[in-house]
Amino acid sequence: MKVAFVVQRYGLEVNGGAELHCRWVAEHLRKYFEVEVLTTRAADYVTWRNHYPEGVETVNGITVRRFPVARPRHPQRFGRIQEFVFHHEHGEEDELRWLEEEGPLAPALIDYIKGHRDDYDFFIFFSYRYYHSYWGIDAVREKSLLVPTAERDPVTNLRIFHELFRKPRALVYNSPEERAMINALAGNEAVPGDVVGVGTEVPADAAPERFRSRHGVEGEYIIYLGRIDENKGCRRLFDHFLRFKRETGSPVKLLLVGNSILRIPAHPDLLYMGFLPEEDKFDALAGAAALVMPSFYESLSMVTLEAWAMRRPVLANAQCEVLKGQCLRSNGGLFYENDEEFKEALGLLLADARLREILGENGRRYFDANYAWGIIEGKYLALLNSLRGT
Amino acid sequence: MNDGTNNRRDETPIRVDYDRIDVGDIMAQVRARIAARPVPPDEAQAAGPRPDRPASLPDFPAPDGGEGRSRAKRLLLKLMKPITPLIKLAILPVNEELVRTVRVLDHANRQLDSLTARVDRDIHRVESQLFERLGRLDTQLAITKENVKLLHALSHNLVVELTKLKIEHEALRNKVRILEKDFETLGKRERALEKRPRR
Repeated sequence: MKVAFVVQRYGLEVNGGAELHCRWVAEHLRKYFEVEVLTTRAADYVTWRNHYPEGVETVNGITVRRFPVARPRHPQRFGRIQEFVFHHEHGEEDELRWLEEEGPLAPALIDYIKGHRDDYDFFIFFSYRYYHSYWGIDAVREKSLLVPTAERDPVTNLRIFHELFRKPRALVYNSPEERAMINALAGNEAVPGDVVGVGTEVPADAAPERFRSRHGVEGEYIIYLGRIDENKGCRRLFDHFLRFKRETGSPVKLLLVGNSILRIPAHPDLLYMGFLPEEDKFDALAGAAALVMPSFYESLSMVTLEAWAMRRPVLANAQCEVLKGQCLRSNGGLFYENDEEFKEALGLLLADARLREILGENGRRYFDANYAWGIIEGKYLALLNSLRGT
Repeated sequence: MNDGTNNRRDETPIRVDYDRIDVGDIMAQVRARIAARPVPPDEAQAAGPRPDRPASLPDFPAPDGGEGRSRAKRLLLKLMKPITPLIKLAILPVNEELVRTVRVLDHANRQLDSLTARVDRDIHRVESQLFERLGRLDTQLAITKENVKLLHALSHNLVVELTKLKIEHEALRNKVRILEKDFETLGKRERALEKRPRR
């Protein structure tokens, strides 16, 4: 069996959610069948400017075919079109124009898929919202699987995607909440699919003390991992945390790990660590009282899974249905919707070490049962074999 | 079971069954606890009554309890009894109308709330964009100011240099004129010497 993974960007330097998800799944499935990756030359997800050389290369043992981006994204023009399609009455042609402006506009990739459809048994498309998925699935409907990685954001309301969710042979969801949302939007219950998600690997020798001595961090802390961005709920997290500090007088600190595109308020207990190497990241996570996840939009939070894999409890934004659902299913974390709930839930976690420990253990059990690589690989194999048999 | 170390003394403790942790139950307790909490007086005062709604309904005048008045009331009611259905009929639509109006007002209030939230969001967005642009403009302004300063110094230096050059130019012209004159004299002398007969 030969399977092509089709994704907007691909490379060891690319650490975006869906792209990393794609790379990990491709690398784990290459032991079962021949795997190739079809992608663009882009490395930057804002402009999609050509960065990698065109042609074929091998990344971690996988053949990667890169196709040029015909035109980089013009952020201002895209912003104007997006504003129009999100907030005004519009037609299908407007949505298609939005899709083209969003990019990455790689018609050569679509031409390759059309011309080589018989060379592959299946095409697995990642991220429903980009050009490659919309036109790629249209070209090879009967051989396509879609991993939508959809969040409840305004893009899901665009009508072109409702049709898209009904086209592929199968869908691979990240969570039951994502599946329910897509089913409700597109009425695609008849399309086969499964909730799979993605696994993760955590080091067995994470050492919080190593992190503390290396970075001079003292005292109890909670941690946020990921891009520090308003869209990730970080501004509200700062408000909640500073109010918590003010009202409770707690000495707890908030560690922020990741690249920041948001101004971080100046406060001695808001510690911005910047982008950390993997070893430091896991050391920091291992020493945290809890991982805080303030994002509104997630289809599957990989850092939440990493926290659970390291037996750390999670404090999640309940306005994100996926995070709330994961906390309820796993019994591995608490959640909040507003200031008061944040204060109560964080207070409870910090005051009760036994509760933290049990939540962390529950998280680990949930991770082992649903997101261990053996489980993920088995689900992909079962789905592909069932499609091959029909 | 945990009686909740972060519990306030006057509040219901959050009970955690460590043998069977149920996050849903814990969060339900947290929410119930928050809901049971009285609104702090300063917050209540800050929130204040809604301007488009009366703070409370106006009180009806209290009966003064006079015996004569009570007798008159009973008599009046007896007289009105035959027309009571008519009175009810007249009152009923008013009541329905009132309920409908209250519903409309409530709906309008909700819409206003959502619009206010939206406007706040937009203001916040515009404000942050404005600050960002202002920041950029400030930087550009500082660069322009520096450039103007440099240009000013350059102009000054150019004027000085030009003046020096002009003076030098004048001096050279005078020198040339003197040299021309010397040359002329020497020529004359040469010619005179050539004319002198040889001994």
